[in-house]
Amino acid sequence: MAINTFFKKEIISDSGKLMAKQRRFAYTGIVPILLYMGLFTLFPILWAVIMSFFSYTPIREGSWFLGLGGQNPFVGIKNYIELFSGTGKPAEVFRLAVKNTFLFTALVLPMNLIITLPLAVLLESIGERFKTLFRAIYFLPTISSSVALVIIWSYMYAPGWGLLSIMFKTIGLVPPKSWLQDPNTIYLGVPLAMLCVVVAHVWQDFGYNLVIFVAALQSIPKTLREAARVDGANLWQEFWLVVVPLLSRTVMLTSVLTVISSLQVFVIFQLLTRGGPQNQTQTMVLSIYENAFRFANNLGLSSAMSMILFIIILILTVTQFRILRTEWEY
Amino acid sequence: MTIGIPKKNSVGFVLGKSGAYIILIIGLVATLLPFFYIIVSSLKNEAELRQTPPDFFPKEPTLKHYITILTDEKIPLVQNLFNSIFVSLSRVVITLFTSSFAGYIFAKYHFKGKDLAFGVILIQIMIPFQVVMIPNYLLVVKLGLIDSLWALIIPAFVDAYGIFMMKQFIEAMPGELMDAARIDGASEFGIYMKIILPQMGPPLASLGIFTFMSTWNDYLWPLIVLTSPEKRTIPLLVVWFQTQHVSNQGLVLAASILTLLPIFFVYIFLQRWIVDQATSSAFK
Repeated sequence: MAINTFFKKEIISDSGKLMAKQRRFAYTGIVPILLYMGLFTLFPILWAVIMSFFSYTPIREGSWFLGLGGQNPFVGIKNYIELFSGTGKPAEVFRLAVKNTFLFTALVLPMNLIITLPLAVLLESIGERFKTLFRAIYFLPTISSSVALVIIWSYMYAPGWGLLSIMFKTIGLVPPKSWLQDPNTIYLGVPLAMLCVVVAHVWQDFGYNLVIFVAALQSIPKTLREAARVDGANLWQEFWLVVVPLLSRTVMLTSVLTVISSLQVFVIFQLLTRGGPQNQTQTMVLSIYENAFRFANNLGLSSAMSMILFIIILILTVTQFRILRTEWEY
Repeated sequence: MTIGIPKKNSVGFVLGKSGAYIILIIGLVATLLPFFYIIVSSLKNEAELRQTPPDFFPKEPTLKHYITILTDEKIPLVQNLFNSIFVSLSRVVITLFTSSFAGYIFAKYHFKGKDLAFGVILIQIMIPFQVVMIPNYLLVVKLGLIDSLWALIIPAFVDAYGIFMMKQFIEAMPGELMDAARIDGASEFGIYMKIILPQMGPPLASLGIFTFMSTWNDYLWPLIVLTSPEKRTIPLLVVWFQTQHVSNQGLVLAASILTLLPIFFVYIFLQRWIVDQATSSAFK
């Protein structure tokens, strides 16, 4: 003890030197990591911004600077103007894709909450052992490979012999002739194919919000809910007057997260419907991918598409941080 | 005091409880039925797969699709499996090191520009992959990594989310042990190796499991940068199967189940941990 104190004094008197040594160590560790992030994160984002102002195709000769200039000319905001009001095929499809992406998100969020919120409340009310088991199984699709899940759903939606068609027939309903390829079946403005993708996606994704809500419910002090019951509230009132208000911050936060992730869904659109029928399930991310990598069009235009997606997501992310920063106490 | 609280064996309580279980079990069936249906379908022979309307269960269960996939030399399953395992494990090892090391420095050291440096890390968390996939692709082409497994590993050396998570954990560790080690003459890196790392089992395990699962399931980036069949990872193989074997759906089903199995296997043992981690990560 005494020896320790003695040494500590010496360290304190020597602290300038020690601090310098620690700083040196910190820089040696952080600088390579930052250089790395610079190359693989900051540089690409700047590159994407710059590229969106050029007409760029990799096979054309450009200048030393990222292959831009030369035969890949600077076009100002022409790519953006094209996307907003141009008549080119990619731009027309993209505008449709923006609309579809928002439609998809607008359907996914309420469907997700309608399933996860009540299920979380029920799950929270049962015994610990069953709760763990149920929670684990509900979470299963979330951790599974999206590609395998798309194969599963292409079996569910197979026309005529798919499981959903069979289930429809069993309960006496007439299943649609084609779940994913018929452009003319539209319910309340939502194409059937889009509805099918929404259902498959919510099935894949609901476990995530569910476990978050269960955890949030567990953190609500039991005394609050008991107090409501003592005051004569029934389960319905207890849910709407106690649980929902206390959960509102969590619900807002998970809603923003759900919206951000819904805007980025790719696999299910690319593999289950391929954007069809007649571009009814074409989304922003699918458009960016197809223009850049399948049709190898003007990458400047594709980059402008990514920028629009980025700005939308950035606004949502800032909202998310705002919610996270608000103080909260029960 | 207890007036108004349903008694444990009252009619209302029992009805409420069993109602809860009924709804929960309906949810359970809806979750498991799609999985279950393709598992039993993968055991059907070609004739039964083509039958309209199909029976739910196979009449003569067969493992032939699995055997074909596992033994047919024209299908590079073993090579693709190796690719997936190699990429996933490399990314786990590298991410665990860079995240814990950078997290340690951010948590325990003071230096000029620290806030700015951490801001850069936060930027990576905020930028969706889809936004930078075009320049990332061009970069990988310039670096000569196209159609190489390294294209999946090298750009993922540093995981901002991992650094963030580790920093939070290390900040909560007391500093006394570190000071004591310094007095004993330990180097700063020695402190990281001997004092910090041994206490980090749980968060490292969580980050490792998540990195493994997301790499194993990753599809978009491998789709962009890998082209030759022997370089494919398992999800790419499954998609290739789906386009090639339209006539033999049994193979596609068997391939997708083989994709799911390793993750399910990990999940059976670590489910509680994985779910808890997913829950807490959402709010940090």
